[in-house]
Amino acid sequence: MDRKLLKNLDYSVVITVCILLSYSLFIITSASFGQFADVYYYLKRQIVWDILGISILIFILSIDYNVIKKASRYLYGFMIVLLLAVLLIGAEHGGAKSWIDIGPFSMQPSEFSKIIIIIILAKYLSENETLIKTWRGIFLAFLYVGIPLLFILKQPDLGTALVFFAILFGMLFAGGVPIKKLMLIAGSGIAALPILWNFLDKYQKNRLIVFIDPNVDPLGAGYHVIQSKIAVGSGGLMGKGLFKGTQNLLNFLPEQHTDFIFSVIGEELGFIGAIVLLSLYLFLLWKGIKIAMAAKDKFGTLLVVGVLSMYTFHILENVGMTIGLMPITGIPLPFMSYGGSSTLANMIALGIILNVRMRRQKIMF
Amino acid sequence: MAGAVNIMVRRRITALFLIMGCISFLLTFRLVWIQFIRSEYYQEEALKQRMREVQVEPKRGIIFDRNKKELAVSASADSVFAVPAEIKNAHKTAEALAEVVDMEVVYLETLLSKKQSFVWIKRKIDDKNSQKIRSLDLDGIGLTEESKRFYPNGTLAAQILGFAGIDSQGLDGLELYYDQYLRGAPGWIVAERDATGRKIPQGEQKYLPPKNGNDVILTIDEVIQYITERELSKAMQETQAKSGTAIVMDPKTGGILALANYPTYDPNHFGKYPQTSWRNASISNSYEPGSTFKTITAAAALEEGKTTINDHFFCSGSIKVGPDRIKCSHTEGHGSQSFADIVKNSCNPGFVTVGQRLGKDVFGKYIKAFGFGEKTGIDLPGEAKGIVRPPEQLRPIDVATNSIGQGIAVTPIQLAVAVSAVANNGKLMQPHLLKEVRSPDEKVIKKVTPTIVRQVISQETAKTLCETLAGVVTKNGTGRNAVIEGYKIAGKTGTAQKPGPHGGYAPGKYVGSFVGFVPADDPRLTVLVSIDEPKGAYYGGTVAAPVVREIMRDSLQYLGIPPSEPIDNDKGQNNTGESSQYLEESLNRTIHVPPLTDLSIVEARQMAKLLGLKVQIMGEGSKVVNQIPKANVRVVPDTTIILYLGDEQKNMAQGNTDQKGKMEVPDVTGKTIRDVAEIISYESMDINIHGSGIAVRQKPHAGEKVNQGTLVEVWFEPPSVHE
Repeated sequence: MDRKLLKNLDYSVVITVCILLSYSLFIITSASFGQFADVYYYLKRQIVWDILGISILIFILSIDYNVIKKASRYLYGFMIVLLLAVLLIGAEHGGAKSWIDIGPFSMQPSEFSKIIIIIILAKYLSENETLIKTWRGIFLAFLYVGIPLLFILKQPDLGTALVFFAILFGMLFAGGVPIKKLMLIAGSGIAALPILWNFLDKYQKNRLIVFIDPNVDPLGAGYHVIQSKIAVGSGGLMGKGLFKGTQNLLNFLPEQHTDFIFSVIGEELGFIGAIVLLSLYLFLLWKGIKIAMAAKDKFGTLLVVGVLSMYTFHILENVGMTIGLMPITGIPLPFMSYGGSSTLANMIALGIILNVRMRRQKIMF
Repeated sequence: MAGAVNIMVRRRITALFLIMGCISFLLTFRLVWIQFIRSEYYQEEALKQRMREVQVEPKRGIIFDRNKKELAVSASADSVFAVPAEIKNAHKTAEALAEVVDMEVVYLETLLSKKQSFVWIKRKIDDKNSQKIRSLDLDGIGLTEESKRFYPNGTLAAQILGFAGIDSQGLDGLELYYDQYLRGAPGWIVAERDATGRKIPQGEQKYLPPKNGNDVILTIDEVIQYITERELSKAMQETQAKSGTAIVMDPKTGGILALANYPTYDPNHFGKYPQTSWRNASISNSYEPGSTFKTITAAAALEEGKTTINDHFFCSGSIKVGPDRIKCSHTEGHGSQSFADIVKNSCNPGFVTVGQRLGKDVFGKYIKAFGFGEKTGIDLPGEAKGIVRPPEQLRPIDVATNSIGQGIAVTPIQLAVAVSAVANNGKLMQPHLLKEVRSPDEKVIKKVTPTIVRQVISQETAKTLCETLAGVVTKNGTGRNAVIEGYKIAGKTGTAQKPGPHGGYAPGKYVGSFVGFVPADDPRLTVLVSIDEPKGAYYGGTVAAPVVREIMRDSLQYLGIPPSEPIDNDKGQNNTGESSQYLEESLNRTIHVPPLTDLSIVEARQMAKLLGLKVQIMGEGSKVVNQIPKANVRVVPDTTIILYLGDEQKNMAQGNTDQKGKMEVPDVTGKTIRDVAEIISYESMDINIHGSGIAVRQKPHAGEKVNQGTLVEVWFEPPSVHE
């Protein structure tokens, strides 16, 4: 790799992510204490994912992001095939058919589909600056997102579907779509919610009902929220100490190594631990914003905005649901939750940001 | 540095960052809310759900009779519970368990699949089944010890004791009334548990021991209660009556010695009996007392000086009251007779006349003073008041009917208490069942002292009336069937027609009753028996008086109350009354005493009861180690067999000693010289024999604590004196 390029690598972002990954390893270890005889089960596996993720990151850095732009159509096609494959031969884990089993591992294509959506949208929006100011252009952007969205809703994976919308809106906004049109779309979307309600599964409806009042079903649909709030709330300012959270260790917390990892932080490391994490995220986002602004072309800017929209929504939704601010959907916390697909996807996304930053200067001859 | 990004896009990206900042602020604000402001609440919630408090039931207090014989005890029993999270296959577990707990597999399966950390399967199962479950060793199925109420005497004193429910809460009878003493306070085990409800071995644990219930000691005497129930049930069989009630009380203290109702039930299995059998009719049933109530009329008239015992009245066989006419049971009339004879013959016109002389207000005052129309305040739930119309509502005919015990409704306990007042020099006593409440460490918490409610009539009037009532229980009085040779008994019979469903009286439906006390000069026992709807003979003197006689006879013997009256042997032999018939009958019937050793007390008691024998328990222990008379000796029915209890053989040598080396003198009355000698020597005491025949008196008395080698004097009399 070019030395000059390496000089342009944003080391503050790299260090921030390394801190996040280390942080996550401690919490994942604590979260697996209550679940397995081998308390390092998840730790060992996550270390493997992290190493794999870093390798992919390095690989992403080595190719110019404009090469990715050229490959975007193929990537999009590949994504559709994968999502189709999930529907046909996918494995069901926890109520949703979102995985493809490969030997001892299982892959979640919807995690990667988010990145491909970002790429294809960045390409489309950057190449059609005038078209996207029209309804037709906006409709085409929706069409790009809509096709994989249908497959994902079929799994069903409502969380990822919502991430798609977050990415779409963030990128349309940054891409220069008139605000009035965006507001109109958002307004009619909200107006259509009662109709969408009828398309929801019973468990999804329950999740929304218990979001309003978790005590409707404290041992069923409301259990997650109640237990998570107890965990975070009982952590207080300083927390109960790492590996000392009773909600976590006694398994009152569900999915404490993946979706509810933030509850473990809140319980064991308290408000301090939570604020440290949120600050790291905010710093990362701020850095990302700067990269987006400094990108050498609009494609790069939009790529970064897409990734940041994705991260932001993940953080808002995941942290929000653990403290009763958002309804429950199963989406992981970037760089913190245990999981192969999400770790790899997040590292690829990070690679894209760093890539844009590294290649922000036009090649000087 | 800036590239192709135009101003508009820069602005929008900046706006995006502002949105991110807002989101961070929102999340932080929410965290402050739940981690600072609401933190204490959530900490409590966390503690609450992981510190599972398990209630430890206290041991319910024992109910004893007056001699500390156990009437209701608490034994431990296992309860089955499930921890659904630990059950892998609910169906298989349900199938394995179904038969043992006697439940449907389908129902059991739903229980085992419940989304709860803890489910009761069946509470308080018997030992055999709990052994079975233990041997099945099913995952997620556990047993825990709870205490179960056990009534060692079965149906004995059922309606007095009542019963306690599955959570050891008193539900009826004294179990309910004295629940606050018996119940105790639960203890707690606080243990840290995980989400599936498993206890954490190294987790925090606290144990707060339960406070066991206090013991309740009653005025009831187990033996007299047994005698009373036996005689009542015998009478019920003979008369085929619908129901019956018997009360035995100490007129001097108001303490109830026995209280029985028929039909009865077994409180060990109260659910298997109709609820009507739980009812304590003796306090909750109001009935028209009939002639037994004339005692009250007589008391009022004598006290008010409306008649003397020797005043004469004329009975023509009926008396006209306004337009109505009240008949005498002796339709041809008693002619001219003294008031004593009026009482003796239960002459209606005579009583109507004194009732009229009293007038509604004065008579009403006495009815009230004797406690009618009000609860007696006996310590049992569900007492009735009876029905007494206020004097101002009474027409002349009502005064007349009231004076012969009609048009008024009383409870058996009210009548027993009122008649006891006559026996007790005119002092009306508060009836009660409680003698003492003791804490588990034997401290007296509450002690009931006899309470005089009021002086109803003067001592002189009471004495006069006692004499008069003693005339009823003579060979030519209406209470002749209650006569016991050697004892002076005072009493009054009563036969009342039952009200029909449409007003008036129901044809052929009667309540025959008798109430009396003994010995008439120094009353120790008041006995009331009423038989409801007997088939065939229905007069109180025929159906109830013999029951009273049997209860009195055995109770007097048991209590060691010696006969006070000279016995006219000639008269006794010439007596053609029922009592001599009974005597002959019982002499003709003899019973082989069964071997009772090595049996448990309950088994021995049952065996003896079956054969018509009584038992007296000596010593402590779980098994009968000796008996007197010995097996295969021939005895008359109702002979008391003394059973010596012990654990294995260790008590054999020492006899019936307590901790201080003192021993109880056994009751030897009613035994032959040979038996007495054996009993006394068994107890390592010496005997001095006076006279010959059957033991009638002893000194020291039974139950007194003496040292080894004490000389016991026993007086014997020829058996003919004592049937």
